[in-house]
Order: sequence, then C-alpha cells, then structure tokens
Amino acid sequence: MASDKLERRDFLKITAAATVAGAAMRMASPRALASSTEGSSPHKWVMIIDQEKCVGCGQCVLACRANNDVPPEISWTRVLKVGKSGDRDVFLPRPCMHCDNAPCVEVCPVKASYKRADGIVMMDYDRCIGCRYCEVACPYGARAFNWKSFTEPNPAVPTWGEPGVERRPRGVVEKCSFCYNRIDRGLEMGLVPGEDPNATPACVVACPMGARLFGDLNDPESQVSKILANSPAAYRLRADLGTEPRVYYLPIRSGGYSEVELEEVTP
Amino acid sequence: MSTTLSRFKFRFTAFHLWLLFLSTLMVGGVVAGAIVFTQGLHVTNLNDLVPWGLWITIDLSSIALSAGAFLLCAAVYLLGLKKYQPLARTATFIGLIGYSMAVLCLMLDIGRPDRFWHALVYWNPHSLLWEVTMCVTLYFSVLSLETLPILGSADFFQTRWPNLAKKLQGIHRFAPYLAVAGLGLSMLHQSSLGALYGILKAKPIWYSPGLSVLFMASAVVGGPALTVLASMLSARISPKAIINDELLENVSKFIAWAMVVYLYFRFWDALSVTYTYVPGRNEGLAMLTQNSLSFNFWVGEIFLGGVVPLILLHTARFRKHQILRMVAMALIVGGIVAYRWDTNLVGQLVVLSYLPQEITARYTSYFPSLIEFVAGAAIVAYGMLAFTLGVKYLNIVRHDLGDHHAEEASHAEEEVVLAPATGD
Repeated sequence: MASDKLERRDFLKITAAATVAGAAMRMASPRALASSTEGSSPHKWVMIIDQEKCVGCGQCVLACRANNDVPPEISWTRVLKVGKSGDRDVFLPRPCMHCDNAPCVEVCPVKASYKRADGIVMMDYDRCIGCRYCEVACPYGARAFNWKSFTEPNPAVPTWGEPGVERRPRGVVEKCSFCYNRIDRGLEMGLVPGEDPNATPACVVACPMGARLFGDLNDPESQVSKILANSPAAYRLRADLGTEPRVYYLPIRSGGYSEVELEEVTP
Repeated sequence: MSTTLSRFKFRFTAFHLWLLFLSTLMVGGVVAGAIVFTQGLHVTNLNDLVPWGLWITIDLSSIALSAGAFLLCAAVYLLGLKKYQPLARTATFIGLIGYSMAVLCLMLDIGRPDRFWHALVYWNPHSLLWEVTMCVTLYFSVLSLETLPILGSADFFQTRWPNLAKKLQGIHRFAPYLAVAGLGLSMLHQSSLGALYGILKAKPIWYSPGLSVLFMASAVVGGPALTVLASMLSARISPKAIINDELLENVSKFIAWAMVVYLYFRFWDALSVTYTYVPGRNEGLAMLTQNSLSFNFWVGEIFLGGVVPLILLHTARFRKHQILRMVAMALIVGGIVAYRWDTNLVGQLVVLSYLPQEITARYTSYFPSLIEFVAGAAIVAYGMLAFTLGVKYLNIVRHDLGDHHAEEASHAEEEVVLAPATGD
C-alpha cells in the first residue's frame, strides 16, 4: 500500500517535472517559430507595388484568376481604392504579403500553410482541413475560403491566361502563391524571375502600367534591390505587427494625398 | 384487432413527448447536416470576415460546460473528497456528452470533415488549435474510460454481458490516474481555447493573455453549474434520479466563490482597456458595451449571467431554495454561453484596415442562417437526449448509491491508498 502511494506521488512528480521541462525548452528558444523554414535558398522573392503607377484597372486580378484558376468571387490579389491625389484616384493592390513571420503559418494546426525556404508562404491543399484559423489570424485579409464548389468554366480563361495550377476543392482556404509554379518552372529553364515574363507572377506580367515589380532581394543587381535601395519612402502594410511582409509599396509622389472611403475595384 | 393493441399497453407519456421533441430536432439536424455536406458551407451566413459563428460558439460552450468532469474527478480522486463521487459520475457523463457535441460541431464547421484526422498525423506544435485538438482527443479518451464503468454497472449490461460488465467496472480502479490525466489535459485545453484567440495580434480586442485565464475561470464556474443544474432538474422530473441536496449546495458555494474570481478577471479584461486608445481594441469594447453585442454583454453576461446568480448563490436563504438555486445555475450556464458568443464574435466583427494611413476600424455583422440554427439545435438536442437516457438507464444521477466499486473487497485496499495525503 505504501509503495502504491509512492508510485502515485512519483507519477505526479514526473508529470510535473516533464511539463516544466517542456515549457522551459519552449521558452529557451522563443524564436523557434513554425514560420522559420528549414533548409536555405539563394533567393528572397519580394514584390514592389508602385501606387504612383497603379490606375486601378484590375487586370492583375483577372490575370491572377486565369493563371491560378481562381473563382470569380475570390481575389487572391485585390485592388482597393484608398485615396485621392489631386483629381486622380489612388489604389492599393493587395496580394498575399508572404510574411517572414507569417501568422497563418504559426496557427495552422496541420502545417497546411508553410513557408518555403525562398520565403513563399505556401498552401498544401491536400492537407488543409478548412478550419479557417489562418483566415482569422491573417492581418491582411489575404485568405479566402472555398465556401462552395467551383465547377463552372472560369470566365477569366482563356482571355486573361491559362491555369498553371490545379483548381482547389470546396472546403479549403486558398490564397496568392506569388505564382510559385511560374517561378519554379522559370528557374528550371534558366530564366530570371522578375525579368523574364515566363518566370514572373502573372499579375506583374499583366500590369499594363508596370506598377508591379518582382525579383530577388538577395541579388544586389536585381531591379527590386536597386529600387528599394533608392526608395526611402517605400513602406509595408502593418509593419508595426512585426510580420515582416515581402510586399513593398512605393507611395504616391505627386499632388498630395487624401484618404477616401475604401472601395474594392471589381474588374 | 383491439386485443392485439391492448396487449402492448402503450401509454403516451410526457417522457415520450420529450423524446419526440428531441428526435424531431435531431432529424432536422440530420437534414441540415446533409445540406451542409453536399452543398458546402455557403449555406451558412459565415464569410471570409466572420468565418467562425454559431457552431463554434456551441463548440466552445460545450467544452466549457463539460469542465465539471475534470474538476469533480480531481476533487474526488485527488483531493480525496470522496462523498462527491456520485456527482463526479454525473459530471463525467455530461463531459463525455459535451465533448462529443463539440466534435459534432467541428465536423459540421470544418471545410473538410473527411480530413479531421490530419491534426493527429501532421503536427504543428506551434498551433494552439493543434494543441487543443490533441488535448481534446486525449481527454475524450479519458472521459470514455471514465464512463465505461458506468456502462458496466448498468443493470441491462450486467444481465446480458456479465463478464464484460465486470471488466468495464474494473477500469474504475484507474480512476485516480485518469483524474490526473484529465486535470492536466483539461487545464491545458480549456486555457488554450482562450489563448487560441489571445495570441492573434491582428485582432487587438482578443490579443491578451487574459483570454486563457478567462476561458479557464469561466469553465470552472460553468462546468459545475451545469452538473448541479442537470442533477436537480433530473431529480424533479425523473424518479430514477435521486439527489443529496447537501452535496449540491456545497458545490453551489464553491461556484459562488469561483464566480467572484471569474467576474473579477472579466471586469479587468473588459473595462480596463478603455484607459488608453488602441485601434481595434476600443472599437471592440464599444461593440460589447454599446453596439451590436451590448445586450448580450450587459444583460446576458453581466446582469443575468453574473450579478443575479452571484446574489442568489451568496445569500444562504436563496441558495438553499431549490428553485432559486436552479435559476442561478441556469443563468450561469447562459452567461457562459453569452461570454463565448461575445468573445468569438467581437474580434471578427471589428475589421481593422491594413492601409498605410492611420489604422481604422470598420464593423461587420453576423447572424446565423436557418441551417446553422437547425443544425446547432440538433446538436444541443442530441446532448439532452443522451443525458435523458443516461438518467433513465445508466443511473447517472444517483446520489444514494455510494461508490459502487468501493464496496468491493478489492477496493477496500485502494480506499486506504486513495485517502488524502494528510499522513505525509
């Protein structure tokens, strides 16, 4: 009986010790985030969006829908009318920010959201259970849930491009992937993403105003590196949250600026 | 013809009416569920701004209100308050029902119910939701093991499968170990359910370590309250339920003081945030105190769910009054559900801009669709049906029966072992 008692007390002690040890290990490595990636990549993909050049035509949205087979009620990249400069409208296109500290990757219970070594925040659509925690966690509203099946022909195809990825099933969350498939295929073919259209995200290629730029921030000779080095006014969305977004904006440079009631451009 | 009929001697009683009522709700739920599974979640009023609604509220509430199981099992098997054993039995059964309700809610709510097992296979230990899923799964197993002896001691089970019944009852000897596991797992996931919201930096009204404390504290209040309420209600309705009012009154005293703690935290969580303006946080608070959630907050959470039961339970005269005590418990349960509803929605209904200018908050709204109501009601009806059958056939509320197995000879020994650790 006495030994029984001891056993139970020991069990409790061991449980308590294990809990404390586990917690201590977690605290000892506070940067052990899920979004820190394994492996390394020579590339660091970033996007620059120039608000001075964007006219809000929405062609990026359509090109994205066609290339990624996105249903009409979802926009991986949204174009928002956010302000006025003189008598022209100011827009803010919003793709996924591909945050370095991505909240969506941290919260996903099954690692369906994960971060690639080159910084692209990916979705494993075969693994997603559709809990929508990532949607709740994303500060940028960059994620969309497939509330219903998309079985109709895509109205953006073929006018705006041909799908390069599989259509997502009902019940999973989807989002912008920086057209990872175009980047990967381009690299295989020896192309330079950001310079060769075939290796560059569809929205960047489609923009008639050249308002979107894409490239490798690890390459000091890339266009994006040079522009960011010379643009002290470049900013990122909600930088205060520490998410370290990979999408940079160049603000409007002429004619002053005033806010307007937010409105989404629907091309 | 008439002779054959009279042989059945079927009499339609209030009990049958109750079963018919619950079954009707459940049939509605099966239809609603079939629509959700075939059509997809667009039949709900959820959207990309408010992806978590009524079902998540029911899920959170079921888990919170199941907390009586781990509390009473810990009291009986770890603190040695053995006289509460019959109450722990009721609470455990309610817990098993509550967690199965939560699972049903989640199966409806997630987009890919066929992949529910992914969280068990593809681990993301950084995710609070992963942790909750693991804890809930493990705790569900603990609750099942704790409930098997109840099944084994049922008369129909003992007569039909005496050997199996004996084996099932034998599991009861592990009750103290199960209580330890249950305590650990419950403290983890009850808090983590709050932390799940509390870690979201993008939603300032949620972003606070307070949420994990509040979810825990409110579960400690709500779990035993539902156990007391369900026991007293069954005793009034069914001859199969026999209660010891002294035990229930003692638990009510505990609930009364636990409420003081819970409301203290709730007060600081909600009302101290006005001190400095934080975009999104103050708008969230305004939502609770002045806008669309204000009735729920002031009337559901604070007045009916807080102040009234606090007075009723702290006044001996009211607490000893059976009806008033039941009213207090029902109000507490309602208050916990209101708290879960408010908390789940407040962070989603305030939409923060991510624009470069000053961060501004906009509001959105959510009201469940008919299908959400029908399916939600069916899940609640399932819980009530399961409890009703438990009272009728499994002696779930029987305070006159002592620890069944304590009477067995093999147990006399354990009795000593289980005594509180006062000797050392």
